Amino acid sequence: IQDDHKLSASELEEKYGTSVNKGLSSARAAEILARDGPNSLTPPKATPEIVKFLKQMVGGFSILLWIGAVFSWISFGIQFAQGAESPFDNLYLGVVLAVVVILTGIFAYYQEAKSTNIMASFSKMIPQQALVIRDAEKKELSADQLVVGDIVEIKGGDRIPADIRLIFTQGCKVDNSSLTGESEPQSRSCDFTHENPLETKNVAFYSTTCVEGTATGIVINTGDRTIIGRIASLASGVGHEKTPIAIEIEHFVYLVAGVAISIGVLFFIISVSMRYKILDSIIFLIGIIVANVPEGLLATVTVSLSLTAKRMAKKNCLVKNLEAVETLGSTSIICSDKTGTLTQNRMTVAHLWFDNQIYSADTSEDQTTQPFDQSSPSWTALSKIVTLCNRAEFRPGQENLPIMKRVVVGDASETALLKFAEVILGNVMNIREQNKKVAEIPFNSTNKFQLSIHETDDPNDKRFLLVMKGAPERILERCSTIMINGKEEPLDSEKAAAFQTAYMELGGMGERVLGFCHLYLPENEFPDTYPFDTDSMNFPTSNMCFVGLLSMIDPPRSTVPDAVSKCRSAGIKVIMVTGDHPITAKAIAKSVGIISATSETVEDIAKRLNIPVEQVNRREATAAVINGMELKDMSLQQLDEILCNHSEIVFARTSPQQKLIIVEGCQRQGAVVAVTGDGVNDSPALKKADIGIAMGIAGSDAAKNAADMVLLDDNFASIVTGVEEGRLIFDNLKKTIAYTLTKNIAELCPFLIYIITSIPMPIGTITILFIDLGTDIIPSVALAYEKAESDIMNRRPRNKMKDRLVNEQLAVYSYLQIGIIQSVGAFITYFTVYAEQGFLPSTLLGVRVNWENNAINDFEDSYGQEWTKYQRMYLQWTGYTAFFVSITIQQVADLIIRKTRRNSIFQQGLFRNKVIWVGIFSQIGIALILTYGLGHATALNFTPLRFQYWFVAVPFAILIWAYDEVRKLFIRRYPGSWWDKNMYY
Amino acid sequence: MATLNEKKTCSERMENFRRFVWNPETKLFMGRTLINWVWISLYYLAFYVVMSGLFALSIYSLMQTVNPYEPDYQDQLKSPGVTLRPDVYGDRGLQIYYNVSDNKTWEGLVTTLQTFLTAYTPAAQHLNINCTSDTYFIQDTFDGPNNTKLSCKFTSDMLQNCSGITDPTFGFPEGKPCFIIKMNRIIKFFPGNGTAPRVDCTYVVTNEAAFLLYAQGNEPRPLEVDYYPANGTFNLHYFPYYGKKSQPSYSNPLVAVKFLNITRNVELKIVCKIIGAGITFDNVHDPYEGKVEFKLKIED
Repeated sequence: IQDDHKLSASELEEKYGTSVNKGLSSARAAEILARDGPNSLTPPKATPEIVKFLKQMVGGFSILLWIGAVFSWISFGIQFAQGAESPFDNLYLGVVLAVVVILTGIFAYYQEAKSTNIMASFSKMIPQQALVIRDAEKKELSADQLVVGDIVEIKGGDRIPADIRLIFTQGCKVDNSSLTGESEPQSRSCDFTHENPLETKNVAFYSTTCVEGTATGIVINTGDRTIIGRIASLASGVGHEKTPIAIEIEHFVYLVAGVAISIGVLFFIISVSMRYKILDSIIFLIGIIVANVPEGLLATVTVSLSLTAKRMAKKNCLVKNLEAVETLGSTSIICSDKTGTLTQNRMTVAHLWFDNQIYSADTSEDQTTQPFDQSSPSWTALSKIVTLCNRAEFRPGQENLPIMKRVVVGDASETALLKFAEVILGNVMNIREQNKKVAEIPFNSTNKFQLSIHETDDPNDKRFLLVMKGAPERILERCSTIMINGKEEPLDSEKAAAFQTAYMELGGMGERVLGFCHLYLPENEFPDTYPFDTDSMNFPTSNMCFVGLLSMIDPPRSTVPDAVSKCRSAGIKVIMVTGDHPITAKAIAKSVGIISATSETVEDIAKRLNIPVEQVNRREATAAVINGMELKDMSLQQLDEILCNHSEIVFARTSPQQKLIIVEGCQRQGAVVAVTGDGVNDSPALKKADIGIAMGIAGSDAAKNAADMVLLDDNFASIVTGVEEGRLIFDNLKKTIAYTLTKNIAELCPFLIYIITSIPMPIGTITILFIDLGTDIIPSVALAYEKAESDIMNRRPRNKMKDRLVNEQLAVYSYLQIGIIQSVGAFITYFTVYAEQGFLPSTLLGVRVNWENNAINDFEDSYGQEWTKYQRMYLQWTGYTAFFVSITIQQVADLIIRKTRRNSIFQQGLFRNKVIWVGIFSQIGIALILTYGLGHATALNFTPLRFQYWFVAVPFAILIWAYDEVRKLFIRRYPGSWWDKNMYY
Repeated sequence: MATLNEKKTCSERMENFRRFVWNPETKLFMGRTLINWVWISLYYLAFYVVMSGLFALSIYSLMQTVNPYEPDYQDQLKSPGVTLRPDVYGDRGLQIYYNVSDNKTWEGLVTTLQTFLTAYTPAAQHLNINCTSDTYFIQDTFDGPNNTKLSCKFTSDMLQNCSGITDPTFGFPEGKPCFIIKMNRIIKFFPGNGTAPRVDCTYVVTNEAAFLLYAQGNEPRPLEVDYYPANGTFNLHYFPYYGKKSQPSYSNPLVAVKFLNITRNVELKIVCKIIGAGITFDNVHDPYEGKVEFKLKIED
């Protein structure tokens, strides 16, 4: 830790070899620049594109398919060496498999890259300029050229270009919110005020902004060595966990690969022991792998996720990492930042106190009027002080904008007061012009008040009006009277007590309270020409008339309370983590419902029962407000206990490291944690979270970089939409996978039956690829458009240990029930085609060896006709086509039943999801083209099929639908029953 | 997340697996109680019994709809295939190589022919009738025994010099071998449109073959062939074929070809086509449709 803040200016000059007046020489600066590097944050290390690409090539099922391809080439090599008749089939198959892997890899890579590109636009920053003294001259330099020892000048509105030790300040205030989360500007001076460099007033930090005033300072840290840089590197040090959906997909891939490999090996052994040639057995193994692997599924999942991402982007949730789409759906804890996310991030007048009464003001985002009672003459007097004793001004040229949207020059409180006055009184600037200002003392921290003296707008009243505002207790000290209903009454102890109560009440709501008073200066003592001098204060500043109090707060966004309650009903715990004061934090938490109206903290209970805090039963308190100081002394067990026992938690005054600890604590509970944040200080927590959500408007680049998702409108309510979409896509992916897995059995059974009963091959490997990557793709994507079956926002987030994407029920129901029905249907078509061409089922059993023998060209069918090899092959391809068509037809039924998992199709509506129908038509269309369009391209093994064979499997398709309706009916009728447990996926 | 990502040691995995197979605390066997296993097995048993029933029912009704005498469709058997005896297949189709002086090389070929012709002995053909007409033998009624149709007799002696009766070695040792050409059966197929289809064998003149012939100083000579029966025709009275159920004793008519001027020690490529209306031999995909091609090399 540096101690530059403790050194004097001259010591610093010596340390950095610089001069306050002349600055560094250009040559020296260049040397240091060469040594330290540019003054910019190193962007997080990106994975090289080629690595990302290769990962896509070997991820998921790709390995299995590569194995299939290699086996194909091996068997091609062997056959070629033996000089067999048609070895090239296997070469082509291998090539096709490789192409499939490469294409799906390219596709996934492209999808991934596309979503990353959206984000890339964010991180482009406009190069920042800094005013530097070098070679005894003031120069504008690009901020990244700054080096340690440079003398920089800063004025209001500038971003601080590096960590700076201040050596000269004038009314300088900085907004440290991006660093600490505190929304109030902090004043800066040249004095060493605190041991901790973070707390001392004479250091300004990189990437914070100077709100007002001017300052000059010596650069003491640049680039990654700045405080921000260190936090950012803390963030990059936090490893990113796998997203829940990635874990689910991995689980699913293992499951399917496990099934594929075990069936493959089992049948390899069976076929070898049935005295098939090893080469043939290898070819069967390839077929079994290809049949088992849903080649198109991972691409489908990617498309479904990116569709959801697109939908969410429309609703202002921009997803950076596709998988994060689902993460939000499984989120069980949201750690939300306060400022800017839950609140509007601007001070607004919330309450008024005059005539001994508290009035509430409207704090919504788009207020145009104020509803409280404005008839009292006291309000007229108060409004005049609010209007006149205020230095803030609107930037010119914004007359057409709504008041709340106009840009104001001035600090946060003054801005709030200006806007408040403008809303009620109309043109404030006009009023100020009519009450000409003759003298003014701006606010400073020693006086704790601000005053100004004005002419009145009444031409007959020649008196001056002195108006004053400031810290309420200081203002009250200077008053001898108080205005009640427009009349000045003496300020007795009773009225002072009323003031105290009101002040405490407003302060207790976490609001910043200001007192207002005025004094009409007597005309005889202060004539028109009286020379007011603010330095000697040649006018009275006591015995004034107290008019009222105004309190301000950064109010919650109007959509937030609803969103919080939606999160509640969705079983998501919302925790507030802020750098702000506990009282403010608690007040905001209460007003948005993070702490509900009925729940109490330990302190609340203690207060109510009037007992010491230690005696309160901690279990009774549902809410907790924990200060960063308390958190510092807590052990992990204590933190876990708090996270476990309290349902409503607010962490206040937390540091970036503590945010990280809190997130880790939540993750220890097994929760999926979402973290929202905008400041650089949030970035480690954003990174650590299962899903980090950065604010698009207020968010810093570091936060956006660390986050998985960006809320374009900074609105907490958008998260709820995201949760809903995330849950929906999880359900829909289940449906997609169930749909896709089903037909794998209908593709696998032909191989198994072929090996065991030696019938002619019912379906070809290439044909399988046409189903997996042709007819089935669009329908499975269409399921991503399916609407939710019930109110998904009323159930708890899924338990990531138990509610798997692909569970036993799903696999078993798809594989062993629907898949079997599909296989039976397809085999019936196959047998029908062969029988009607002359080969009755009984003839087909055991014919494989002769059927495939090239030397037999007079193979006899059931009717005594004789077939050449090619005639048999052509019939076999007709069989492939028939099998393919039957699977397609039954997949239509499968698609329809997968629309719902619990509800009847009639409850869900057959036509509500139009995309499903696009899917069905595309499926049948592609099948028609393959069958009739390519009928003579025998390389693809399709033949023009008689039209009636399209309908052989229809009864089985209807059976699938009916059976599934019965399944769903029983699930709905007998929840919790044996049926429900075994049949609901 | 932490717990999910924890790397488990092998022994822990084994322990977890054992616990999965049999968990003594919850009495779960592979994730289910025993009674639950019984139920689920019963359910699947019932499910598969029903599915098998459906399958059997479907196949049964399929069998009810098919015609027992002839298949519903014959669109994939438009033109008959042609086969050759003896049929020795090498890597690239039919290859008949032998050495006249080494009887081991041709004895197998002769045996194949003799075996093939056993189906054409008078004894084997005794159920069939003698036909003399040179027109199609159309039978609309079942005139044969046991509700069948009659078939015409084809006996091996019709192949004269290639019958194996006069020359049991089928001319192989002399270098003038006999080959038998058979046309595949197709139900209700009327070949030749009233004219008997005939076999025609020629060289397939590839450049290589022509070069070899010239190189040996020989003028290229057309292939000299004796056809049996005369002209190498398939008599029309063997057609049409009515199917296995109608004509259980039907046997294909044959044509034997005897090559008379085979150049020794040269691999020759010969094609035997069946010439007749309705028989095509120009299908690029199917080398055996309407014709049979083979390589012949006789060494000495």
